[in-house]
Amino acid sequence: MKLIYTDSLVVGAGLAGLRVAIASKERGLDTLVLSLTPAKRSHSAAAQGGMQASLGNTVKGMGDDEDIHFQDTVKGSDWGCDQDVARMFAHCAPKAVRELANWGVPWTRVTEGPRQIVVNAEKVTIEEAKEAHGLINARDFGGTKKWRTCYTADGTGHSLLYAVDNKAISMDIPVHERVEALAIIHDGKRCQGVVARCLITGELRAYIGKSTTIATGGYGRIYEVSTNAIICEGIGQALALETGVAKLGNMEAVQFHPTAIVPVGILTTEGCRGDGGLLRDKDGHRFMPDYEPEKKELASRDVVSRRMTEHMRKGKGVDSPYGPHLWLDITLLGRKHIETNLREVKEICENFLGIDPAKEWIPVRPTQHYSMGGIRTDKTGQNPQLKGLFSVGEAACWDMHGFNRLGGNSLAETVVGGMIIGKYVADFCEENTLEIDTGLAESFIDKVRSEIDDLVEGEGTESPFVIRKEMQRIMMDYVGIFRNGIELDKAVSELQGLLKRSRDIGLKCNKRHANPELVAALRVKRMIKVALTVACGAAARTESRGAHAREDFPQRNDKDWLNRTLSSWPDENALSPELSYEPLDVMKMELPPGYRGYGIDNAIAHPDTEKREQEIANIISELGEDADRHQRQNAIMPFEVPEALQPKNERLSDKLTESGEPAAVRKIAK
Amino acid sequence: MNLIETKGRSLTFNIFRYDPQEAGDKPKMVKYQIEETPGMTVFIALNMLREHQDTSLQFDFVCRAGICGSCAMVINGLPTLACRTLTKNYPKGEITLMPLPGFELIGDLSVNTGKFMRELAERLKLWLHPMSEDADVHRLETPMSPQEAAKLYELDRCVECGVCVSACATKQMRESFVGAVGMMKLARFELDSRDSRTTEDFYHVIGNQDGVFGCMTLLGCQDNCPKDLPHMQQIAYLRRKMAMAQF
Amino acid sequence: MTINDSAIAESTTNTITTTSTKIKARGRRWIAWLDISQSLSGVILALFLWTHLVLVSSILLGGDAMSWVAGLMELSFLSSDGHGYPWIVSLIAMGIGTLAFIHALVAMQKLPLSLKQQLALRKQMSAIKHGDTQLWVTGVIIFVLLPVHLWLIGSAPETIGPSGSASRIWNDGVWLLYLPLLLSVELHAAIGIYRVAIKWGAARDLNTRARMKKIKNIISVVFVLIGLASLLAFLPYA
Repeated sequence: MKLIYTDSLVVGAGLAGLRVAIASKERGLDTLVLSLTPAKRSHSAAAQGGMQASLGNTVKGMGDDEDIHFQDTVKGSDWGCDQDVARMFAHCAPKAVRELANWGVPWTRVTEGPRQIVVNAEKVTIEEAKEAHGLINARDFGGTKKWRTCYTADGTGHSLLYAVDNKAISMDIPVHERVEALAIIHDGKRCQGVVARCLITGELRAYIGKSTTIATGGYGRIYEVSTNAIICEGIGQALALETGVAKLGNMEAVQFHPTAIVPVGILTTEGCRGDGGLLRDKDGHRFMPDYEPEKKELASRDVVSRRMTEHMRKGKGVDSPYGPHLWLDITLLGRKHIETNLREVKEICENFLGIDPAKEWIPVRPTQHYSMGGIRTDKTGQNPQLKGLFSVGEAACWDMHGFNRLGGNSLAETVVGGMIIGKYVADFCEENTLEIDTGLAESFIDKVRSEIDDLVEGEGTESPFVIRKEMQRIMMDYVGIFRNGIELDKAVSELQGLLKRSRDIGLKCNKRHANPELVAALRVKRMIKVALTVACGAAARTESRGAHAREDFPQRNDKDWLNRTLSSWPDENALSPELSYEPLDVMKMELPPGYRGYGIDNAIAHPDTEKREQEIANIISELGEDADRHQRQNAIMPFEVPEALQPKNERLSDKLTESGEPAAVRKIAK
Repeated sequence: MNLIETKGRSLTFNIFRYDPQEAGDKPKMVKYQIEETPGMTVFIALNMLREHQDTSLQFDFVCRAGICGSCAMVINGLPTLACRTLTKNYPKGEITLMPLPGFELIGDLSVNTGKFMRELAERLKLWLHPMSEDADVHRLETPMSPQEAAKLYELDRCVECGVCVSACATKQMRESFVGAVGMMKLARFELDSRDSRTTEDFYHVIGNQDGVFGCMTLLGCQDNCPKDLPHMQQIAYLRRKMAMAQF
Repeated sequence: MTINDSAIAESTTNTITTTSTKIKARGRRWIAWLDISQSLSGVILALFLWTHLVLVSSILLGGDAMSWVAGLMELSFLSSDGHGYPWIVSLIAMGIGTLAFIHALVAMQKLPLSLKQQLALRKQMSAIKHGDTQLWVTGVIIFVLLPVHLWLIGSAPETIGPSGSASRIWNDGVWLLYLPLLLSVELHAAIGIYRVAIKWGAARDLNTRARMKKIKNIISVVFVLIGLASLLAFLPYA
C-alpha cells in the first residue's frame, strides 16, 4: 500500500484549491494538491466575465462599498444564503483583487477622460476621473447596483488561474496531476485523507493529511448540456456523500446561464449583456424590457433564464434542428470593443458557429451553468459532520450564493473563499496532529480496489456510457429550469432505476492502468447519487426560490421554506439520500427577506420578518446620527474574518472626497 | 453552419494507437468509420468512437471550448486544438489524428503537456517577481497604464497547449531549447512593470543557444498557435533586447 | 521529457546577481555574437551574390560587355597593359569563401548534427506540415556545392570571360554543378534575407510578413531566371 503524508491535502487544483494550498504553504505547512488535470487546465480558466469586488474606481462604480455588494448578493440568493458568509465575502473581495494584482493578474485598467459605452441600447459617454487613471476597472453585470465586476478583457478566469498557479509553482507546491480521488478515508468523525487513483498507471494511493480540502468544482455534467468543462462531474460532492456522514447543502439549487450557444452549450459571458448586448426573439424584438422593465437584460441569471424560457414557450423562439433558441445581439457594441473586450466570445463564435458576432446575432438559450449546492461547511469551510474535512469554491455550500449566484461572484468566491478558508485550514493544521490509522486507510483502499475488480473482472453487462447518457437525459428533461412535482417524482424513480443498473456495469476494456472506460464507470456510479440528491431535494422543496422554480409552487415561501436542504447517504445500499433541513434565522439577518427588485414579487412572508425589521430600526436609532456604516453594520450583524483580513478597504472615493466631486455621467443622443 | 450539406456523410478517422504501458503493444494507425452529424467537432467524433466502437481510446479534453489547451493534437498534419476543429472543414471526409510530437506519450492521442509546462515554469521561473513582497491589500492598488495591462493580457492568453513546441523543429532537435511558449512568457514578464527582474536577469535565461539565439525563426509557433499570439514580434523583441545587452 | 539540470542550477543562481555570475555571463556572450554574425555574414553574402549574378548576366548583352565587366573586376584600368590583375578575383573568391565558411560554421551549430537530432527532425517534419520549416535545407546543398565553385574560379581567375566561362560551363560539364547551385543559392539568399528581417523584428504584423514573403519569392524567381538565361547565353561561346 502506498501512503503519502502531508499537512494540508487539497483535492482539486482550480483557483479555490490552489488558493487554499498557497495559504497553507505560507504558514510553512507541508502542502499537496491532487488534480485530474494539469492545474492550468482547471475549469476556473473558463470564467470569462470577471469577479465582483467593490473597488469603485470607475465612475459607474463610484459610491460602491461592501454594504451594496452584500445586499446584491443576498437579493441574488433570494435570501437563501448565509448572510454572515456573504458579509465575510464582500469584505474580503477587494483584498483578493488587489492581492491578485500583486501576483501578476493584468486587470483591465481605467483610462481617464471620456469613454463611449452602450447602456440600454443607447450610446452614452461617461467621463472617468483623472485620479482613477490606471486603477482597476469594472464592468456591469446582472443583478448588481453598481459596476463592480473587475476583469481582464473576457479571459478573467484564465489570467487569474495562471497567476495563482504561477504563485503556487513559485512556492514549490507539488500538484499531483492526473490523479483522481475516489474515497474519503474517515472513521465517522474525523477525515484522514483520501484514496486516489493515478489515471496513468492505475496505482491506488492513500493520501493522508491533517486537513483534506475538497475543491473539485460543481456537478454540471450530471446534465446533458452544460457550460461546464467535462470534468465537472460532482465527484467531490459524491466523495462526501459516500462517507455516509458528511452532508451536502442545497443540492437542488442549480443555475442556468441565459446565454450559452446552441447547440454545444459553450458559454458566452454575461459581460456581453453587461457591456450592452441585447436579447432578441425570432422577430428581432428586444423582449426583456417587456418582462423586466427595471433591470431588463441585466436582472439576475435565474430571472433572465426563466423569462427567456417563458418567451420561447410563447412560440417566440427561433426554430432550429436542436429546438428553439433566442438571439444575443452584440453587434451594437462595435467591432473594436468585441475584438478587445470580448475576444474569447468572438473566437467561440467563429470556431463553433462560423459567424462573426460583430455582424451577426448569436444563437443562445439558457443552459446548466453553476452548482450553488455542494459539501456543506461552516463559516471556516469545515464540514460540521467530519472534522478535518474542508471544502471551498463551487464544490462547497459555504453558502454565499443561496439559491442563485450573481454573475461575477463565482470567480470571486474561489479566490476570496480560498483566501479566508485557507487561513482557517492553516489554523486547523497548526492546532491538530496528523491522525494516521494505517488499518483504516488500507480498508478504504481495499474497498476501492474491490470496486475496480468487480468492474474489470465481474459479470456486469451495463455500459457506463449508456447509463451516463440516460442520467443526463433525465436531469435535462425533468430537473431543468422549470420544475414540477410530477416530473421530479419521475426523475427520482428513473434515477433510482439507473442506480440499480449502475451496480451491474461491466467493462469492454479490462486494463487496470490508463482506461477511460474504467474512469467513466467509477464516476457514473457516484454521479447518479449526486443527481439523486438534486432531484430529491427539488421534489421535496415545494416552493420557488432563486434558480429553483416550481410551476406547481410558484411562490417563494419564507414561512415554510426559509431553510437549507441537507442531504446525506447513510445507508450505502439505499436508493435515495436522507433529507433534513437547517433553518435560516431571520432574527439574525442583517437584511430580512423582501423583494429582490426584479422577478416576480410573490413571496409568502416569514412571521419574524417584520419583527426583525423593527429590531434593526431600533438598533440604528439607538446608535444615533454619528455612527458610520461600519458601526451600524457591526451593531446589526457582527461577523468575523481572520485577523489579517480585518482592516477596512481603502477606496478612491476616500481620497476624492477631499479633492471634489467625481465627474458626472453625460448622456448624448444616439 | 450549413446543416443539410454535412448531414450523414461518412467520415474516416485514421487514429494513432499505442499504449506504452501494455506489454507487446506497437504503434499503429487504426481506421474508424463514423457518420457525421451537424456541427460535429473532433471532440464529438472522438467521444462517439469511444462510446460506440472502442472504449479504450485515449485522448484528453477538459473545457471542450478552446479555452483550456488540453486537446492539442496533429490533425491532418497540422497541430491544433481538437475540440474546436469542425469535421466539415475536411471535404474529403478523411481525418488523420496523431499525438503531439515532442511530449511524453501517455497513450494514443494523450500526451503529458502538463508535466512539460510545469517543468518549464520551474526552470525559467515563469511567475511575477514583484518589486516588493509586502504590498498592502487593504490600500488602493498601484496604478498601471491601461495600455500596458492590455498588452500583458494579450501575451497572457497562452493556454499552454503545446502546439508551438510540437511545431518547432528547433525544439525537436534541441531538448533544452525553451521554445516559443517559454520565450513568450518571459517576454510577458519582461514587459510587466511590476516585475523586478532586469534585462541582465533575463539574459541569463534566454541570452543563449537555448533561448533567443538558438531560435531559427522557422515560425512554426506563429503559424500554428491556436490563440494567434504574436510570437514573431515578441521573440524578435527579446532578441533585439538581448543583442543590445552586448553593447 | 527531461529538463536540463544544469539549466536549473544556472537559473537558480539568477536571483542573486553576484559578481561571479556576471563574469560567467560575459563568458557566454559569444553565443549572442555568433547569432549576430550569422545574420550579418548572411546579409553580406546575399548582397554579394546578387551583385555577382548581375555582373555575370552581362553576358546577356554580348561577349564584349562581359569581357569589359570581367576586366573591370580585375582592375584592368589600373594596369598599363590593360590585362589587370586576375589575382584580385582569387582574393574575392577567398574572401567570400571565408565568409561563407564562417556563415556555415555558425549556422551549423543549429543544424541536426547527431543522429538523434536528425531522427527527431525527420519525425517532426513528417508528422507536421509547415512550409517555413523546410526552407533551410537549401543551406545544406550550398554547403556541398559552393566550395567546388570557389575552387574552380579561384584557381583559374584569368579564364573568366565569355569564352573561358563558356567552355568551363558547357564543355567541362560544370553546368551540372551550376544549375543546382544557382537554384539553391538564390532560394537561400532570398529566404535568408526574409528570415533575418523577421528575426530581428522587421515585420510588425502578419500582413507585413505575408508581403515580405511575396517579395522574397519574386526575388528568388527573378534571379533564378536571370541566372538560367545567363547560363544559356554562354552556349554560343562554347
